[in-house]
Amino acid sequence: MNNTNEMTVTFKAKAQNEAFSRMVVAAFIAGTNPTLEEVSDVKTAVSEAVTNSIIHGYGVSKDVSEASYEPYITIYAQLSGRSVYIEIRDDGCGIPDIKKAMEPMYTTKPKEDRSGMGFSFMEAFMDKLEVDSTVGVGTVVKMWKEIGVVKHHFE
Amino acid sequence: MDYQYKNGVFIYYLPKELDHYYADKLKRKSQSVFEDESINYLIFDFSNTVFMDSSGIGLITGRFRKIFDKGGKVYVVNVNPAIDKLLLLSGIYSIVKKKDTKEDIIKEMVKGGYYE
Repeated sequence: MNNTNEMTVTFKAKAQNEAFSRMVVAAFIAGTNPTLEEVSDVKTAVSEAVTNSIIHGYGVSKDVSEASYEPYITIYAQLSGRSVYIEIRDDGCGIPDIKKAMEPMYTTKPKEDRSGMGFSFMEAFMDKLEVDSTVGVGTVVKMWKEIGVVKHHFE
Repeated sequence: MDYQYKNGVFIYYLPKELDHYYADKLKRKSQSVFEDESINYLIFDFSNTVFMDSSGIGLITGRFRKIFDKGGKVYVVNVNPAIDKLLLLSGIYSIVKKKDTKEDIIKEMVKGGYYE
């Protein structure tokens, strides 16, 4: 039995779409029979990545009034059995120093009350995280999670 | 109702989903209270909240900074397990106290010399 599935959704990089984006992914992975906690983990991770794209990818340096530029975010997700793969892609400004960006509490926007915990939460709630980014081209966040695997929790 | 301010006590009634969109909205709406009033107790009520991401952490730490130097205390109340996990992971419990009910907070406030 080949139990695989795929989806792609593209939407405008607006804060109102953050809720939509995580709900789409939550609905898509329902077939893997996740626990409420697993759904919540995936939703949080997706929300972090999408919020980053909106605030940082599209929020800075690119001048919206410049032509030929449409701020869209694309989510691609793939299921294989109970393995979930999620890709969140933007054509935003890119991240100059990914290692620095992934440090807990590091943020370029402390005045806007950003916590700097985005990548930390993605790492904590998913099994694996990869970030590809090119300045001036955009960023792709790749995340993997195995549903139904009991993990050791630290207290 | 998004928030309530009375006698130095500020309560946020947080939305169902506390993400970047709603955190910014709340911050904008309540900005003037933080500028005009002196807040001794700041309470984040999560009764209706089922989802939160790091934007919620940003909201709490940002508001905390505004009242901390004037001796204000910050509480979170009615936190569900999913949100508790995020709060724990963020390390925010070093600056914010968690209480099960609002009555528990009032008890501490009275101990601290607060009269309604």
